[in-house]
Amino acid sequence: MATDFWASSHYKRWIVDRGTLKESRSDDLQYVDDPEYLDFFAIFFANVITKLGKKLNFRQRVIATAIVFFRRFYIKNSYCETDPFIVIAACCYVAGKAEESPVHIKNMVAEARLFFSQQPYGVKYFPSDNSKLAEMEFYLVADLECDLTVFHPYRTLLSICKKESSNDLQTEAGEVGVGVDDGPRYWGSGDGQLELPDDAFQLAWSIVNDTYRSDLCLLYPPHLLAITALYLAVVLHGPTRELLQQQSHSVEATPVHSSPRRSSRQSSSTSLGHAKKPSQDFVAFFADLNISMPLVATIAQEIISLYTLWERYLEDSDLVDSARGTFYGHASAQTQSGGSHSGVSTPVESLDDAQKPHGATPTFLLQVLTRMRENKLSDMAHASSGRPVAVNKMLERTQAAG
Amino acid sequence: MDAVEKANTARQKRWVKDRKVGEGTYAVVYQGREASTSRKVAIKKIKVGQFKDGLDMSAIREVKYLRELHHQNVIELLDVFSSKTNLNLVLEFLDSDLEMIIQDRSLVFLPADIKAWMAMTLRGLEFCHRNFMLHRDLKPNNLLIASDGQLKIADFGLARDFADPGHKMTCQVITRWYRPPELLFGCRYYSSAVDIWSVGCIFAELMLRTPYLPGESDMDQLKTIFRALGTPTEEDWPGHTKLPDYVPVGQFPRTPLRDLFTAASGDTLNLLSRFLVYEPRRRINARDALNHAYFFALPHPSHPSKLPKPAAQTSRPLEELDGNVDMAGAGPGVKAAAPNKLKRKLTSPDGTDLRPLARRLDFTQHAKHS
Repeated sequence: MATDFWASSHYKRWIVDRGTLKESRSDDLQYVDDPEYLDFFAIFFANVITKLGKKLNFRQRVIATAIVFFRRFYIKNSYCETDPFIVIAACCYVAGKAEESPVHIKNMVAEARLFFSQQPYGVKYFPSDNSKLAEMEFYLVADLECDLTVFHPYRTLLSICKKESSNDLQTEAGEVGVGVDDGPRYWGSGDGQLELPDDAFQLAWSIVNDTYRSDLCLLYPPHLLAITALYLAVVLHGPTRELLQQQSHSVEATPVHSSPRRSSRQSSSTSLGHAKKPSQDFVAFFADLNISMPLVATIAQEIISLYTLWERYLEDSDLVDSARGTFYGHASAQTQSGGSHSGVSTPVESLDDAQKPHGATPTFLLQVLTRMRENKLSDMAHASSGRPVAVNKMLERTQAAG
Repeated sequence: MDAVEKANTARQKRWVKDRKVGEGTYAVVYQGREASTSRKVAIKKIKVGQFKDGLDMSAIREVKYLRELHHQNVIELLDVFSSKTNLNLVLEFLDSDLEMIIQDRSLVFLPADIKAWMAMTLRGLEFCHRNFMLHRDLKPNNLLIASDGQLKIADFGLARDFADPGHKMTCQVITRWYRPPELLFGCRYYSSAVDIWSVGCIFAELMLRTPYLPGESDMDQLKTIFRALGTPTEEDWPGHTKLPDYVPVGQFPRTPLRDLFTAASGDTLNLLSRFLVYEPRRRINARDALNHAYFFALPHPSHPSKLPKPAAQTSRPLEELDGNVDMAGAGPGVKAAAPNKLKRKLTSPDGTDLRPLARRLDFTQHAKHS
């Protein structure tokens, strides 16, 4: 969907601040031993949705929408009061319909049941009855306040890099004179484009995929996530980084040398008026975008800390669409090459220390979840525990549904 | 009760349901009002029933788009709330539609009136298209008229976005009489031009006071179109013979529009002919149509408040209405009475209900094509 983002429900109602996010987790925080587990949940459940989505042959966009629905739902609900697996199934089911790739409810139930019953999930209780999923769908849509239009960074990525497949489109379509409009209205005027090698673009795409493993999609507008992904890709991708280093060497001789990672302030200050090179001046490109580079730098930091966390999340690494590997290759290389002042790389180093037990596996997270739910339940049963007893309708609902 | 439910209850209390006014495939429509102001609204209760099959695809589409689109000529979704096991959409109350007005023979249309309706339709449609949204079911029945005369596009149950031009879409959309030839030939990659064809048919219908291209089947629809506008040549519409469902339907000569639309001005006929161009790429778009000389020539469009309105509808008893439920008219708009279908039936003498119901697609088709 491509309505005006600034007039959209996404921008008006579903970009939230950290405070709201924290408040939405307050109930869970009462029952979880370590708040960090909740961040692992974010990675874990996004992975589950991605895998289930792939089983359903969803496009990346549909998967992304499902993940955003899941995150929005958990702004208003807590993990310990709901069954995330039926919520996941409902998110995929609604996302399929909202993105014009509907799956029949029967297939949805069958796929979800089969998938969740496998290891590491081992969920045996997923209802085989369509009506349970339909009921959950209803609660989900109600809690989403019927705002089913979700914006994603992919489109910004495509239009900035002009990777639109209008040629593929023609061949794929194989129908002439169909009136598919591919003029400037759809793909921009062609100005302000970033010329990226294909693999650098692919890296940016993967970084965008990865942002869905955190709450970033609730915190920042998608176009900023896309630009940050490009920014990171340019820095992390070997050839473009060399280009970047050459460019910056020619611009100012000494100070950049020590740290290959350029801060945003440097980029905006050094870049102006130095686009003489035959290859594109990336720094100038980012500087010319009418966006806040400090904000992009902040998002970049958040993405980096997501990878740091994710590195400690242990799961079979069959996610081919992730930029995690690339990122880690570079991050460690940079640590060695000596940017010791960069605060980002320290957590990576600390991995070498004997702090590994802080990692998490799906099995472990599932145990955490079960414990949270049990504690919550017993608290509700024994009100004398002193903890606030919020008798929550949502719990009754989802228990009924799941 | 948690904060989320409290907010929902607060919203629920804002609206009062008064009486049932209609029932469609996936919703029951009530007339209601805002508790504090007594402003009239329509409340569309989406049937979730026994949670058998999940929410209807049309309901999902309608909600999805109406939550985003806000324009003077698009029906306004005022609020959404849930009650027990129902989703309720609160829509602005609109008491008539363009089909009722066209069929009301006691009303006389001036060219300025037609111009006003066309301008409002195109403004609403231009807004949808600017937001990369296809309506895919434009027809007089879905153009609702507010009490102040403003026309509002309604029923977004078949709408979808076309932000991904490479994406295959189903061609089983748009009520047959308003369906463009490329869809009848099974074209799966189409654009906003499909809605423009429908606008052309509505334009013609406003002048003729009877449907312009009333085909009796999909095949007959093509014949009806070609009979009226001439069979397209390869030059008129390059490549159309290669479309998936192309079948030759016979050669008909092109007859000048002037022969049928005897009273129309040159500008009017020029605009009409630009709506009804065979080649979708050459068909005028909504924005250019609004800038067409027709809208700048005299007479100027009538002010909405001066437009002809059907005589005050005495609301019929519900039972009578229930017996004559128009499924296709199950859009968000609420009509105080079911459209009188007798006149339609005069144009389709075999007596069967020929109103093609494009919205009733079976789910498997969606999965395959859309």
